[in-house]
Amino acid sequence: MRTVFILAGFITILAPIASAQSERTAPAGWNRRWVAPMQGSPAQRGAALFNNWCGDCHGKDPKSAAGTRSLEFKYQGKVPSALEDRTDLTALLVKTIVRKGIATMPFYRKTELNDSDLDALAAYLVKK
Amino acid sequence: MAKLPPGLKEGDFQAALGEIRKVVGKDWLFTSEEDVALYRDFYSPMWGEDDERLASAALAPDSVEQVQAVVKIANQYSLPIYPISTGRNLTYGGSAPVYSGSIVMDLRRMNRILDVSTEDRSCLVEPGVSYFDLYRHLRQNKTRLWVDTADPGWGGLIGNALDHGVGYTGGDFRDHFDAHCGMEVVLGNGDLVRTGMGANPKAKSWQVYKYGIGPWVDGIFSQSNFGIVTKMGFWLMEEPEMGMRVTVTAARHEDIHKFLEIFKSLAYSQIIKSQMMLASPIMSQRGGTPDAELTRLRVAGAAASSQDWARYAESKKQPFWSATFCFYGPANIIAASWEHTKDRFSEIPGIKFEENETVRFPLTDEQAENVPAKARFGIPSLIAFGSRNASGVAASEGHLDFSPMLSPRGDEILALAAAAAKVYADFGLPMPAVGGAFYHRRGMIMFYTVPTYKNAEANRKSRALYERLLAVCAEGGWNLYRVHARYQAAAVGTYNFNNGALHRLHETLKDSIDPKGVLSAGRYGIMPKHLRGKNA
Repeated sequence: MRTVFILAGFITILAPIASAQSERTAPAGWNRRWVAPMQGSPAQRGAALFNNWCGDCHGKDPKSAAGTRSLEFKYQGKVPSALEDRTDLTALLVKTIVRKGIATMPFYRKTELNDSDLDALAAYLVKK
Repeated sequence: MAKLPPGLKEGDFQAALGEIRKVVGKDWLFTSEEDVALYRDFYSPMWGEDDERLASAALAPDSVEQVQAVVKIANQYSLPIYPISTGRNLTYGGSAPVYSGSIVMDLRRMNRILDVSTEDRSCLVEPGVSYFDLYRHLRQNKTRLWVDTADPGWGGLIGNALDHGVGYTGGDFRDHFDAHCGMEVVLGNGDLVRTGMGANPKAKSWQVYKYGIGPWVDGIFSQSNFGIVTKMGFWLMEEPEMGMRVTVTAARHEDIHKFLEIFKSLAYSQIIKSQMMLASPIMSQRGGTPDAELTRLRVAGAAASSQDWARYAESKKQPFWSATFCFYGPANIIAASWEHTKDRFSEIPGIKFEENETVRFPLTDEQAENVPAKARFGIPSLIAFGSRNASGVAASEGHLDFSPMLSPRGDEILALAAAAAKVYADFGLPMPAVGGAFYHRRGMIMFYTVPTYKNAEANRKSRALYERLLAVCAEGGWNLYRVHARYQAAAVGTYNFNNGALHRLHETLKDSIDPKGVLSAGRYGIMPKHLRGKNA
């Protein structure tokens, strides 16, 4: 039997981002339970949007993130499998995949991510 | 790509859109080809073909009042409207309409969690609320109630329940329509109705008692097109002290009969309360070149003896049957339930027991993130949506779920397994999985996944496979419990007692509640009067 003991350091917690309009702080990496505030700079909004819409599939840990695991199989170490670790993403690529979908990842509608959201999300993933 | 709603003149269409724009605002009416394309079924088995179901436009209201106003306009112009909740009913049709040319009413913006009652262990939500949304709300507020989530956490509580979706936890919660308590509906004729106790605005028992007084009508709003559900209450499971996931394995082909009898005794007497997933690792093949001996035995069905199967299984080093389920509750109750369960199963020679993991609650965020089998412990995720599970293989592009419901008896499971085997063998495919799940209190769903592609020729083969499975299952009496939009009318056609009397009743209700036939034409085979006899 395996009892689930979780070490505090197991999840990568990156430096907190201070929101310009809120005292609240949150990890930059994926956090399933974080209800992300949508205020702040484009990068902060981008982090929040990534958390709310992308993180479950594209979180850091391929064991619990289906998209990250799929990209690990696809790229086999040639590029990082977690999107937040990539330095080669372009805004055009991010936006195209979000709006067109790829493989089993469906596109996202504007009621989920509007064009302004998508700009912020792309800025977050491209700005490295 | 955008299609004019059939039968509507361009001028009337534009006039109707103009009025809708005034209701929802210009930002929330989508008419450009690029925007309307976001309402395609991404896993469509007709992707890019002439009969792919496509929307003509989409709109996204933010309130019940806006929904009512749009329904009024639709009635005025005979405009076909197709409401979706979170639009993520992938493998069953996604966000696309059943009837091409419909205007999709996207309810994702109506994402308010209106109430969570810790006293009644219930919630009241709008249709745009996803499992992720509710989970985050409960975690943020340190509310020790669980979400019983569907496999994809981006699904919506209301949409999933209305399509008879399912989850994993306690028996009162995992049949999501069964777990609802009270709804608010904008009818096709524009009227606004609250069901159950909600019909008395002063009642505090809307999410406590389902029936109210008089006929209970909630069921007619599921898998139907009579109204747009704008609020729905759900019962929530109290977070237990502990959860334990276990696996029980049996060694022989013939063990299925005794195994299921014991399981049902335990489940129906509430010793085991969770979903149970049954599989036969021996009888299933995961892709690759078809295993000739396995195919021969599967197709032989009852003609293959226990000895034949024993010989085949001998070299496989795998259990013949495997069942996974959970216990929830105080640690001492779980221990006693597990001991009793083991005692009962021990009459099967060679039975084995494994404790997969024990999870104690409450969990920190970091602990929750590392829980395996999250959905079994009230944690939504998207872990089922990966495109690749190995290197060097083509990425999946989607699939349809083909899900017959059957009585959980060993002979039924084996009969369906043999019938499906013949279909797959005829198509030259490896043997599909033999497995099923107790999502509901009594029925067992068997799953077949039919792949879909962005390639018409590959999709034609998948459609042929799906259609053969549908015909074979209809003949065997294994009805589908939920169906992709493309095949809803065909599946309803298999429910044909007394020359389709049930479907005629559905049409009678349609004509009464939505007399202009503006809502979700074709959903589950129900066409409005003016379109009957025409294809969706």
